[in-house]
Amino acid sequence: MNNRIIVVIGASAGGPRILKSIFTDLPVLNCSIVIVQHMPMFINDSIAHSLDSCTPMDVHLANDNEPLKPGSVYLIPSGFHAKITRNRLLRLVQGNRVNYVCPAVDVTMMSLVRESGYQHIGIVLTGMGRDGADGIRHIKSIGGNTIAQDEKSSIIFGMPKEAIITGSVDWVLSPNQIHQKLIEMVKVITLVQNESLEKNE
Amino acid sequence: MEKKVMVVDDDPAVLRTVKRILESAGFNVMPVDTGTACLESLKQGFHGLILMDVIMPEMDGWDTIQSIVDQGFAKGNIICMLTAKEIPDKRMDQLKEYILDYITKPFAAQQLIDIVTEYIDYLPSIKKDD
Repeated sequence: MNNRIIVVIGASAGGPRILKSIFTDLPVLNCSIVIVQHMPMFINDSIAHSLDSCTPMDVHLANDNEPLKPGSVYLIPSGFHAKITRNRLLRLVQGNRVNYVCPAVDVTMMSLVRESGYQHIGIVLTGMGRDGADGIRHIKSIGGNTIAQDEKSSIIFGMPKEAIITGSVDWVLSPNQIHQKLIEMVKVITLVQNESLEKNE
Repeated sequence: MEKKVMVVDDDPAVLRTVKRILESAGFNVMPVDTGTACLESLKQGFHGLILMDVIMPEMDGWDTIQSIVDQGFAKGNIICMLTAKEIPDKRMDQLKEYILDYITKPFAAQQLIDIVTEYIDYLPSIKKDD
């Protein structure tokens, strides 16, 4: 497996149960997944453990300077923004609130850079406000793929709606559909990336 | 220490219904009918899941949550909104890191039980001397 597929997910109110729906029985995927869930600090560990228990992917609270690895899911701890350096390294940085929160998924998504051989997927789930809207627009601008949770399944159709309004969302899906779409997309992207690598050898 | 649920709502019918539903599922439920009473319970040591109505006289749900945060009670308590307001107030945007979920009335009994069951497990075990 390689770490050339990076998925960034943003969620707020209602996020934990939507994430549970998406991650339940999610197989180990050839990608790194970074989750920004707006949540109180004292339940960071509980949410990480809850998600870890429902998927064979390795879900844990992110550490500063942690390299992104395929098959791993990084839950960003409260109180830090997460930036991804050169598509490879996860940095936790302190800073002012963005969109009234820290961490803000916009900060993470907007740290991604276009790079040959790398593919990005941005997903915005339920929540109030507009965190993730600018990030989704950015991911689309660097050639990535984007998903917003649909209105019917969103606990609060705020963040997904703002993302959709940008005109940069590829798919509007339910949690079950997001689960399936992730599996399909990672499989296809991996095939394409492998073919490209073979051609260059 | 037992994990508890506090229901904050000025409507006595809602308090009775939620109490009945959650107690039938084995939860220890504390109903309070004002934001002030909620804060008082927190001062007396309540730790657990708080189901908070939005529209209440004198101190609404948002003001109550802001007071919970300002008075240092946010740590150790999970807050979910329980409200008939379909479109959340913009003030929620500023408090969203403290609000884990949003349950719209009317709700199905099993939906409420499932959500409370999920989130009550997130609470760290609070020792008696904490």
